[in-house]
Amino acid sequence: MGYFIALVIAVGFGVPVAVIGGGLGQGKAAAAALEGIARQPEAAGKIQTAMIIGLALIESLVIYALVLGLILMLKLPDTATMLKLVSK
Amino acid sequence: MACAVAVVIAILAILTTRRLKKVPTSTTQNLVELIVSSLNNFVVGIIGPKGEKYTPFIGTLFIYILCMNLLGLIPTLRSPTSSINITLSLALIVFVTYNVAGIMETGFRRWFRHLLGDPIWLAPLMFPIHLVGEFARPLSLSIRLYGNIFGEETILAVLAGMSILIIPYVVAIPLQFPMMLFAVFTSFIQALVFSTLTTIYISIAVSTHEEGH
Repeated sequence: MGYFIALVIAVGFGVPVAVIGGGLGQGKAAAAALEGIARQPEAAGKIQTAMIIGLALIESLVIYALVLGLILMLKLPDTATMLKLVSK
Repeated sequence: MACAVAVVIAILAILTTRRLKKVPTSTTQNLVELIVSSLNNFVVGIIGPKGEKYTPFIGTLFIYILCMNLLGLIPTLRSPTSSINITLSLALIVFVTYNVAGIMETGFRRWFRHLLGDPIWLAPLMFPIHLVGEFARPLSLSIRLYGNIFGEETILAVLAGMSILIIPYVVAIPLQFPMMLFAVFTSFIQALVFSTLTTIYISIAVSTHEEGH
């Protein structure tokens, strides 16, 4: 029973905690890119390309947490078996 | 499904390159030349002038991954890249390619010497670290592509399932349509990121490591 409690808490808190770090990182990357474009508008194309790639790399760390959450979610039992386990 | 995409792209490529002229007058030849030249500029911009021989590989990778990602947006189909098998095999192909390119361009001794690190007496410490870092590259490539495309398809499936519950079981409002527009954008971005990382790994492996590491 404790196993399932721990599993549910891990599934619930896994991705959102990763999203906090990912959001902060992507915010800094976008802010730096916008400042660079504001300084030199003629370099906007290159800066935009580099920004998109940087954002995708930061986002991939959040995606690793999502994959972990999906794997753990598949190990949760459905409600009927859980109710049977609790009422025993 | 992945083989079907490859066969269709190959047939399209053969059909559009049949009657090439030096000064193109037909629309298809112009369009295909536009695609090929922009891919070539992209690759040469990162690797340098000797990157031209890697343009077919990287260009094919980009077009193939883009078409496979976009296939999942057609209503009854799933993307081939939403399974870890396809993405892991693509990442392993890239892994073998950039290591073999490094060995062929700079020789076996220099490639192995790079794995041992800069001061040679730190080699017992640097060698496992470099080895883990080298294996982390195909792992991260494959999981990034798999996670993005599988997550996007799951979101589309969940939204489509919810679309019949807004007005309960009477009429279905397609809630997943804005997400599909966003999914076109992220499919393109993921194909671009995969190709860019492949190009960067090849350029690191091919460049001579003299000028600072």
